[in-house]
Amino acid sequence: MEVALEDNNLMEKVLPPDEQEIDVELEAKEKKYLRGEGANLESVKDKKLKTQLASREKLYGKSAKAAAKIEKWLLPASAGYLETDGLEKTWRIKQTDIAKEVDLLSSRNQYDIVLPDFGPYNLDFTASGRHMLAGGRKGHLALVDMMNMNLIKEIHVRETVRDVAFLHNDQFFAAAQKKYSYIYARDGTEIHCLKERGPVARLRFLKNHFLLASVNKIGQLHYQDVTYGDMVASIRTGKGRTDVMEVNPYNGVVALGHSGGTVTMWKPTSQAPLVQMQCHPGPVSAVAFHPNGHLMATSGKERKVKIWDLRKFEEVQTIHGFHAKTLSFSQKGLLAAGTGSFVQILGDSSGGGYSRYMSHPMVKGYQVEKVMFRPYEDVLGIGHSMGWSSVLIPGSGEPNFDSWVANPFETSKQRREKEVHLLLDKLPPETIMLDPSKIGAMRPSRRKEKPTRGEIEAEKEVAIEAAKSVEMKKKTKGRNKPSKRTKKKKELVENAKKTFPELEEKNIAGKKRRIGEDAAAELPTSLKRFARKN
Amino acid sequence: MGGLKRKSSSNAKTLAKSKKKKGPHLPNSILKVIASQKRPLNSDEEEDDDAIDSDDEHGGDLYEYEEGVPEEESRKNNRYDRHDNYDYELPEDFEDENVESEDDVNSENDEDDDRHTRMLQSLTGMPSAAFEGESKSKPVLFTEAYPEGEFNPTRDVLEGKNVLTEEDFLAPLEGKPGYHKTSKQIARMRKDTKHVVHAPLPKPQRERLERKAVIGLVDGEFSKWVHLVKKNREAPTVYFNQDVDLGYSTVGAIASEFQPRTEFEKKMASVLNDSEVSEAHRDDGARLLELNEVSMEDHIKNRDHIAKMRSLLFRHELKSKRIKKIKSKTYHRLKNKDLKNSSLGALLDPEMAKEEAMRQEAKRVEERMTLKHKNTGKWAKRMITRGLNVKYDGTRAAIAEQLQMNANLSRKMNSMRDGSSSDESDDEEELNDGSDEDTASRLIAKAKEKTLKTMEDDGVPNAGLMSLPFMARAMKKKNEEANEEAKRALEEYEEWENSGGENSKKPVSVSGRRVFGATAKVEAPKESKKDSDNFYDSSDSDNDMAGIEDNDMEDIRDNASPAKNTNRNITETEKFDDVAGNPASKTTFDVAMFTSGSWKKMAGCKNTESKKESKKTRVPISRDQDKKGSRDEESEDSESEAEQMVDGVLTSGSKETFEIPSQAELINRAFAGDDVLDEFEKDKEEVLNLEVPKPEKPVLVPGWGNWTNIQRKIGISKRMVMEHEAEEKERKLKLKTRKDARLKHVIISEKVDKKAEKLHTTTLPFPHTSKEVFEHSMRMPIGPEFNPSTVVRELNRPEVVKKTGVIIKPVKFEEVNPNDEVDDEHPRNHQKQRPKKKTGKRQGQVKSKDESYKFLIPWE
Repeated sequence: MEVALEDNNLMEKVLPPDEQEIDVELEAKEKKYLRGEGANLESVKDKKLKTQLASREKLYGKSAKAAAKIEKWLLPASAGYLETDGLEKTWRIKQTDIAKEVDLLSSRNQYDIVLPDFGPYNLDFTASGRHMLAGGRKGHLALVDMMNMNLIKEIHVRETVRDVAFLHNDQFFAAAQKKYSYIYARDGTEIHCLKERGPVARLRFLKNHFLLASVNKIGQLHYQDVTYGDMVASIRTGKGRTDVMEVNPYNGVVALGHSGGTVTMWKPTSQAPLVQMQCHPGPVSAVAFHPNGHLMATSGKERKVKIWDLRKFEEVQTIHGFHAKTLSFSQKGLLAAGTGSFVQILGDSSGGGYSRYMSHPMVKGYQVEKVMFRPYEDVLGIGHSMGWSSVLIPGSGEPNFDSWVANPFETSKQRREKEVHLLLDKLPPETIMLDPSKIGAMRPSRRKEKPTRGEIEAEKEVAIEAAKSVEMKKKTKGRNKPSKRTKKKKELVENAKKTFPELEEKNIAGKKRRIGEDAAAELPTSLKRFARKN
Repeated sequence: MGGLKRKSSSNAKTLAKSKKKKGPHLPNSILKVIASQKRPLNSDEEEDDDAIDSDDEHGGDLYEYEEGVPEEESRKNNRYDRHDNYDYELPEDFEDENVESEDDVNSENDEDDDRHTRMLQSLTGMPSAAFEGESKSKPVLFTEAYPEGEFNPTRDVLEGKNVLTEEDFLAPLEGKPGYHKTSKQIARMRKDTKHVVHAPLPKPQRERLERKAVIGLVDGEFSKWVHLVKKNREAPTVYFNQDVDLGYSTVGAIASEFQPRTEFEKKMASVLNDSEVSEAHRDDGARLLELNEVSMEDHIKNRDHIAKMRSLLFRHELKSKRIKKIKSKTYHRLKNKDLKNSSLGALLDPEMAKEEAMRQEAKRVEERMTLKHKNTGKWAKRMITRGLNVKYDGTRAAIAEQLQMNANLSRKMNSMRDGSSSDESDDEEELNDGSDEDTASRLIAKAKEKTLKTMEDDGVPNAGLMSLPFMARAMKKKNEEANEEAKRALEEYEEWENSGGENSKKPVSVSGRRVFGATAKVEAPKESKKDSDNFYDSSDSDNDMAGIEDNDMEDIRDNASPAKNTNRNITETEKFDDVAGNPASKTTFDVAMFTSGSWKKMAGCKNTESKKESKKTRVPISRDQDKKGSRDEESEDSESEAEQMVDGVLTSGSKETFEIPSQAELINRAFAGDDVLDEFEKDKEEVLNLEVPKPEKPVLVPGWGNWTNIQRKIGISKRMVMEHEAEEKERKLKLKTRKDARLKHVIISEKVDKKAEKLHTTTLPFPHTSKEVFEHSMRMPIGPEFNPSTVVRELNRPEVVKKTGVIIKPVKFEEVNPNDEVDDEHPRNHQKQRPKKKTGKRQGQVKSKDESYKFLIPWE
């Protein structure tokens, strides 16, 4: 067996570089950075535009190549992996076996923290993976620095905590409590009480939009802008109570799982769901999104986990035999599923679909509440009824962090600057849509039901003008009378007008009413009471 | 008279014509009457006839009225009934007998003329020939409408008649002297075809030829530019900042270009560039001394000059000293008066200067308060309103003066302020120096400097009156005393300085020690870190299985008994307080994953490690210590536990753990899949109906269209049914084109989000015509966040790169390989022209004109 965690190449053998292999690899990476293919320039008729586009395309290619090369050669760390030899299966490898192989620093990430008193724990990590928030069902909130295992703050709110979520950084976090949800600062001071949403079942924070999304006990979905506190949208899902909610990190669409087996996807600017999918015959117990936004995993109570392709809205794979109370995708695309006291990790190593990669049995009787991969680390956090644990899953985390995106070693100054940048780059809520790459493209053509009044009038005027400007034929002597000519012309104009009947009708109706009024005025007094009153 | 005649003739012409040829069919008698009415004079008739004659000769130039055949007779269109013409038609050769023939008229006219001439002859007594010429030989001039020319040739030329030939010219010369000679010459000329000068070609032909010649050349000239222009047009960026000479970049370069201009500079240059001097420098410098020799005369001259200056200085010194000593009151009074008057005085005497400044300040303040001199006075206002200030120079000057005064007074007094502020800063400096212990030496140095200064100053007193001799003497005495004192003071200062240097070192060292102490403090926090490490490494297996609760059960409990819950909460919080007080002691740690036997080793390792650490930290965790004592036991315990768990894991790996679900959940599961799918289908139907509404079915409304049996039989009108069908079809098409048409389990809303509409463009930006191409070109972000820094610049480079102020030169010709691809690289050597169509064309035109001129010159 070989184990390697990221940043750790103890086991790695340096092979002589095979040129072809490298080429293929680079090409694949280049393709990724090209973000799709360029347009077919053959169809462009404008020569100038053609040359412009061609030169642009060349630059794009250059950029992609440079990026691919950087990724290939300059990134400092390589992803971890788990290799077995012979008949050994990866899912038979236990944490203890891994602990023997990895370095000391990584082995420190294997631990259980037993807090039996305050019930099952919910977890949330910051984007950089530096901080963890643990929320015990019975009111225990703990903010932990994962780098040095420092307990930053621990508070007890003395009521049920259903969910916890970090806001944009470790300075603030939200907790869904018994009656209301609250926002706390890092030092545990309560900053806001969010009364408007009612008793919240799940809380999620949309990082790019600064929206705090929540679904409450009566199935209402709320979006609140945390920068200025406005409730951006409150939507009645009409599907009953749910506590399955996840955000698609790619486009910010919120997915809810319902008891009817449907998964609905929402955005704050529309009251109707963007997509409704009948995923399971029974209630949906968990939903998770792949970080690239193309895959969704759902789990139903009928002991099936399904993987969906969100580009086609089709099922890609069904995994039989277990149902997950909680699902989570890692940055590298591993899928963790927690049920009872058992955690299973599925991997898509061969590209042929998700299969068992690793498993981790907890102590019997522990009830897993939440599994979540720690970003930029090969670590899976498990919140359960007896506290929380952390296990090593090689190859789960992204090995190289981008300090402009998420920096685990952020200084306070950097954090402040980042905060300002984040606020400046905040996206308005309407940018949440199924395909955000369509922003800036042509507006999808709306099917026109009826032209507006103005448009009709304009059209009419054009038609009349055309009728007026028709050149009359010069006829023989007797038939070429000017009176006849004018008559004919008038007729043409009248015909042109007749093709736009709506407006005429309206005018007629108005006239009629006026006539009626006049009639009422003219009637003798004795009959006036019979006149229609408008 | 001639003018009149001609007018009348023109009138008559038309009439006569009509009579003669066609014209309206008027009886001749009527015509005659008209003619006679218009022309009462008989005599005029002669000319009229002449005119008619001439008309006939020239012919066709004048308008003739042609009467068309009446419509009845023409039988066009068969509009009129056909009938034979029963009117009598005159034969064509019929002549009216009553009408006088033209010949008769002529003869008559002749007769008249004769008579007239005879009369004139008898009256004047002149021969008749003279009168005859006057009346008869005068031809009537008909000027052509256009001047004769090549486009308007005379009739003769057109017909080929009457062309002049050499013979015509020669004929009258026949028989005259020289005729023979000329005729011979002409004959020779005819034979000679070499020297014939042909007539120039017609202009259009000539120009066509010119153009042809020019086009060939110009084309060649242009075609060589084509590649260059094309290249510039296609270049994504055009650079104009090349080839810009910004001048010298270094001091050396500037100096190398230096040319001596003034006499002094020239002299210097001659010395500097002297080959001898430079050679001496290059060698060993010994010869420089020789070269540096000063002549005796120069030396003496120099010495004398210095001596003179010194003596002058000395005299001035004496004078001022003496003046300062004067005690006479009158003298001082006078002096003060002088000083007061002169602004210099104010500068010299500090007290007076102060006084003066105060006065000035007061004035200024007053001015600023009252604005007295800003032409706000009564007089000034009056002057201005009446415009007198424009009229009289005196008043204008006065007003201007006032304004000037105002400006002077209200101007901010910079000099005063600056002085005071600098004084203050000086004071501050001094204060600072005083407060600082380390800088005593500096203070001493300062004092020394001051004394030296005073010593020097004493030598140069400045007073105006120094003529009195007693003053000079007294001054000298005092000066010497003062100098001595100053010297003594200086010695003292030096002593202090030497001692002060040693003293000043001490406090510095003290401060250093202080700093050192501060740095020592820093080391402390390290230990606490180790502490925390230990906190998580230490492994206690204190499992409390009883504490595990079922999730759902707990939920129920939560909801059911709030009172109980709160009670529990309270107890919990009490516990929690304890936890908060001493977290390390209360929270327990569990290593559930270390399940295999190999754990022993690990534990051993860790044990030793943690022991070490605990020694270091000296923060004993009581429980931890206890555990260390019984480490072996415990590990055994954990092992046994682990075995259990391994069993559990193995079973769960294949079978999975199973816990009994609650009743409600069971029911939920049992009846889950039954109606869910149907419900979803219904939902989908609803959504579809909402988004693509169903068309209304045509229905017979009672009372409308079903009154009679026939109507009822016909039923709903065909038109309505057809419309409905069409609508249905349309709806089906719409449903088919939906994204979720083929996905049974999915509803994708196609509602238009109005808020998101602003994120899309409504029209394609200009050069684009296809939506696809545009969207593909927009797919790549070009910001620095998304691209490597090597490419970002290129991606965002503007179309034109230019430095401000750089003159854009017209495009220069250069060889361009047409097969070369457009490179995006920054060009280094050459300046490119902006790819603008207009400029290129304009230049081309200018060029061609020039060329054509060149070619036109030999033609002309």
